[in-house]
Amino acid sequence: MRKIVGLLLIFGFGFYLVTIIGPVVFPSSTGEKASVGVEVLKNEVAEVGAANTVTSVVVLYRGFDTLGEVTVLFLAALGLTLLMKGEKHLQAKLFDESFILKTGSYLLFPFMILFGMYIIVHGHLTPGGGFPGGVIIATGYFIIVMTSDVVRLREGLVSFLEGLAGLTFIGLGLVGLFKPADSFLFNFLSKGTFNTLLSAGIIPFIYAAIGIKVGSELTGAVGNMFFSPYGRQKDA
Amino acid sequence: MVNPILLIVVPLATAFFIPIFSLIWKGGSKYLALLAALFNIAVASELLVKVKNGPIHVTIAGYKAPIGIDLLAGHLGVVFALIISVIGFLVLIYSISYIKGGWLDRYYALFLLLLAGTTGMVLTNDIFNLFVFFEIVCISSYILVAYNQDSHGLEASIKYLILGSIGSTLFLIAIALIYMKMGTLNMADISDKIGGIDSASRMLIIVLLITGLGVEGALFPLNSWLPDAHASAPSTISALLSGFVIEVALIVLVKLTYSVFHATSILVFLAVLGVTTLLIGEFAAFRQENIKRALAYSSIGQIGLILFALSLNTEAGIRAGMFQIINHAASKSILFLASGYMILKTGSYLYKDYRGIAKKMPVSAFLFAVGALSLIGVPPFLGFFSKIQIIMAAAATGSVLNLWLIAAVLLGTIIEGIYFLKIVIVMFSGTGEELSFSGGAPFGAVLPIILLGLVVIAGFVFLPYLNTVNTSVAQEIVKHLSLAQLF
Repeated sequence: MRKIVGLLLIFGFGFYLVTIIGPVVFPSSTGEKASVGVEVLKNEVAEVGAANTVTSVVVLYRGFDTLGEVTVLFLAALGLTLLMKGEKHLQAKLFDESFILKTGSYLLFPFMILFGMYIIVHGHLTPGGGFPGGVIIATGYFIIVMTSDVVRLREGLVSFLEGLAGLTFIGLGLVGLFKPADSFLFNFLSKGTFNTLLSAGIIPFIYAAIGIKVGSELTGAVGNMFFSPYGRQKDA
Repeated sequence: MVNPILLIVVPLATAFFIPIFSLIWKGGSKYLALLAALFNIAVASELLVKVKNGPIHVTIAGYKAPIGIDLLAGHLGVVFALIISVIGFLVLIYSISYIKGGWLDRYYALFLLLLAGTTGMVLTNDIFNLFVFFEIVCISSYILVAYNQDSHGLEASIKYLILGSIGSTLFLIAIALIYMKMGTLNMADISDKIGGIDSASRMLIIVLLITGLGVEGALFPLNSWLPDAHASAPSTISALLSGFVIEVALIVLVKLTYSVFHATSILVFLAVLGVTTLLIGEFAAFRQENIKRALAYSSIGQIGLILFALSLNTEAGIRAGMFQIINHAASKSILFLASGYMILKTGSYLYKDYRGIAKKMPVSAFLFAVGALSLIGVPPFLGFFSKIQIIMAAAATGSVLNLWLIAAVLLGTIIEGIYFLKIVIVMFSGTGEELSFSGGAPFGAVLPIILLGLVVIAGFVFLPYLNTVNTSVAQEIVKHLSLAQLF
């Protein structure tokens, strides 16, 4: 009996919530509304000159948020390596690698890196950019790690690249602080020719830094899950 | 002019640089972190002088708000940036001798990211940017709570992670609703447009925001993570989390309620919630035998008191709340830092084992007593002035409800007094023969406690100055933001 009353109460409260929230979340009229997004779409090509408007929003209009997001990723990777310290259980192989699998993954590896770099470099022209490109590069490394036990991650190199890419992002932003712009992340380079590789000012450079950062962070995270990153045995 | 964005970007860049730097000089990262914190103190104090001529508004990437992101370094932001950098700097000095194990470079990088995130939260004028910094603060706290890698720390961290993620999700949904209804993310722009939307959406947005930020701000039903997290973290991190991280979440919540959403009608609810939080925190602290858990619950109580003061809907109330935030930041940091070495030396978390510790560690024990007395509100310490301001501000509102709430606050104070005095009496009784260790805390660890102790003991000298600054903060919070004012 009590359960039924409880259920009825929950149902009643749920119904009440739905009647309140429903019209808020799904309004009956979805007319064109004035929003920041409309303004950006109207002025983007003239102001920034990137063929991919989403990229110009991610890297310039809301570039400061992206710096924060990159930091969140940095934190997540940092936390993972810190908390996985000394854990070695993941070193156990899921299966014995066969010759075909190993050779196949070695063959695939350079192409995945190349594809990742292509995605990163063309971020301001086509869909994609630093985040997906970095993930593709890390995936290439992940395949190698999964299929072969001889590859060791050069942690020094990875954290060097990671830090350098982050500093490049901030450094490019700090250049904008100089006169006459006096604004962090100001696009101080010329717009170039629309829809070519070197266009949209600092966007390709920042996105390349983001790509390197994401790629090295995820590579480091994957590597650290497989090889204990801290207090490594001397005989390893 | 110094750009306030440096307050965020410099610690961030230093945190990125630390992994590279540690390849060159292992163990040098602590000095880098100290430098960054020192830089922030310098910039924040310069801005504190500048901000008298009005809030400093900077755009990012050169796009005017509401298209781009902007920072608004008003009194609130600058005062908090100063509190954060000063406490951060002192705790860093303490860390050098206290934190020995673990992956040290990573500790300092996380520490700086926590500083950068909290500073960003108080400076930004964009609600999504606020969310990004909020995430940085949350994630770095999750990791730092588990830094010791013991089972308590990991358990507390997971608990914190789950509750914190739910809070962040609700916050994000609120932001999505805001953008859907108003087409903007700029706080000043939202403040202009909030009157134009229907009341159901407005209510939903505010409820989601209060719940989302309330998890990090440790409001009553949402704070079950706090005692575990603050008690299991390394003492340095407990000092930071109690000292300013919860307060930043709380002040941002209050700022949004007043100056962005103009939701003054919800403040009565927040005031009652604050006093409930206070009573529950103090009653729970009373029952604790573990010193860090007692301090953590006392933080919940203090947060409740601060929320009560901030929700009085008067300038005097907010001024008193700000004062209490400053007092709590200094006093609670003293308590956590002083107890850090007591725990380390005695090897026990239970304060009944600290009998006679005042003979062995006189400075730490004395300053612990100072911090405790200041939190209780004993004259002439800083806490007396802040607590009396809160009670006078509440009485001045003239509402009967507030009189009852004052009575509850006083009841909470009595309980707080009993358990803090119980701990202090244990520390000062006994001969010191009971304790087997020799030597107190190293000088590097005592120095920051002494400096914080000076703030609490001699703070009343600066009372007029503190009052002017807090009044400006209160005026800023009460005033409605508007885009037209910024340009």
